[in-house]
Amino acid sequence: MVGSNSNTKLRLSVRYLIAIVLLVIMVFPYLYMVLNSLADWSQVDRKLIPTKLTLRSYQWLFTGGETGITRPWIHAFFNSVFVSLISTALMMLFAIMVAYALAKLKFRGRDSINNFVLFHMFFPAIILIIPNFLIIQKVGLFDTYWALIIPKAMSLWGIFMYTNFFKAVPDAFIEAAKLDGASDFKILYKIMMPMSKSITTVVFLFLLMERWTELLWDMIVVRSDGMLTLNVLLSQMFGPYQAYPGPMYAGAVMLTLPIIILFIIFGKKFQEGMQFNLK
Amino acid sequence: MEKNNNRLGWLFASPYLIFSTVFFLGPLIWSLYLSFTNWDLISPTYDFVGFKNFIKALGTPGVRSAFWVTYKFMIVFVPIVTAMSLFVAVIVKGLPKFKSVFLIGFFLPYLSSGVVASLIVKGFLSHTSPVQTFLRDRLGLDIDWLGGSFSALFVVAMIMAWKFTGYYALILTSGLESIDQEVYEAAAIDGVKDSQRFWKITLPLVYPAIYTTLILSFGATFGIFTEVYQLTGGGPNYATNTWQMEIYSQAFKNLQAGYASAIAIMAAVATFVSIYVIRKILEMWGKRNGWV
Repeated sequence: MVGSNSNTKLRLSVRYLIAIVLLVIMVFPYLYMVLNSLADWSQVDRKLIPTKLTLRSYQWLFTGGETGITRPWIHAFFNSVFVSLISTALMMLFAIMVAYALAKLKFRGRDSINNFVLFHMFFPAIILIIPNFLIIQKVGLFDTYWALIIPKAMSLWGIFMYTNFFKAVPDAFIEAAKLDGASDFKILYKIMMPMSKSITTVVFLFLLMERWTELLWDMIVVRSDGMLTLNVLLSQMFGPYQAYPGPMYAGAVMLTLPIIILFIIFGKKFQEGMQFNLK
Repeated sequence: MEKNNNRLGWLFASPYLIFSTVFFLGPLIWSLYLSFTNWDLISPTYDFVGFKNFIKALGTPGVRSAFWVTYKFMIVFVPIVTAMSLFVAVIVKGLPKFKSVFLIGFFLPYLSSGVVASLIVKGFLSHTSPVQTFLRDRLGLDIDWLGGSFSALFVVAMIMAWKFTGYYALILTSGLESIDQEVYEAAAIDGVKDSQRFWKITLPLVYPAIYTTLILSFGATFGIFTEVYQLTGGGPNYATNTWQMEIYSQAFKNLQAGYASAIAIMAAVATFVSIYVIRKILEMWGKRNGWV
């Protein structure tokens, strides 16, 4: 339109250059983390790009280093995987069930429940942390996996997302299936779920990531060493283990990498889903 | 299809109803009750003290700082994250290829745990780090980043900005993409100069998306905990003491459950009112400029 062809080409190259520089700056902290986890211990936090590399930090991590506990990091990693997967699975299951009721079933009280969910969602959660902690303690779940799973088994945001999505599905699909004699469970499983693949990817990844990086709750409801999640273990080692910065970076890599890998694997579906829910 | 599914509806909704009774409504009432007691989280008995906790809270530096620190974070964090995400969105939007690769790349910081981000920043700003050595030896600057009140607040705000930029950029990019290309062409015919394009056309049309990111970023400042807990513990001298940090310290460190419940209620009220006022201001501002 304006200017010659070479002019637009130049503009585009400048744009790519800026984008690349920006991206490098944004992911630099991650690069710094990975490089430091691999750096020789004499160079950790002393060189921007370490010149001597070693796997010593990871070795230290996987053998337990100088703590008394055997392999606390591996144990904490599995705790994190276990707790996050089960919590996220429950959050998804309940979100889908409740959203189906709110979007597609006609029943008395539905509008009230809908409004209540919205109120609950925008309510500052901080007020609930002390009584919720006390409930866990009173029913004897303190320091168990249940304490990490049950109070984190429901996501209001998940309900909200699925309700909006299900509302957009035409009723005609459901009516047709009903005429064929399908039950609501079957409709949910065979019709609604396959249609919501991309939004399911987005909700699943966000919920898993949030659960995986939770600190405050996980920190207060479990105490024994064998129960800690990886995020809490890293947080606890933050101060006293300043003498071992290398292994701390290795622990940080262990905490960050699984989620990043998942996002990259589901990258395309995630983008489709984001496009839907940003519209 | 006017058949009522009363039973089935309640059955499907029951997980939420049970959950919200046990972990929301019950605790809400309990919390209100606790806020009027002097319970210490351990002893079997406690007294009803009326409004004493609330009155006491108003006078302490912990609560006062929690109130103001949130707004100080907003003043630093919101403009930075908005400018950064808008810039990223504008740059990425015009890329014919690899756009999604870039967007996913910018989004990656959002996935980091606050603990990890704090760890990296702490190492990066440690005394022997390459950055600090450079500043000291070459520029003669010896900055104790986490020891100064403003710099500590700034560091935490920058971590938050790093984390949220890619996420907000994603929202803004889809806002930018919904703008019809013909609008620009029509404006060019009407004599809008290239230099005015962004302010006169792009910004007004993308305002709904900006509004979303503004509300999200204002909201995010009320939830700051992990970074502050890891890096400063609320210090130096309460400069980074957020509501969450104050509640955590009072309840689980000082074991003053009753007092902490009172602070939690004050925090909830402050959050509710602030978000409401911010929404109104943003809507008025948008209307006055003709953006909404």
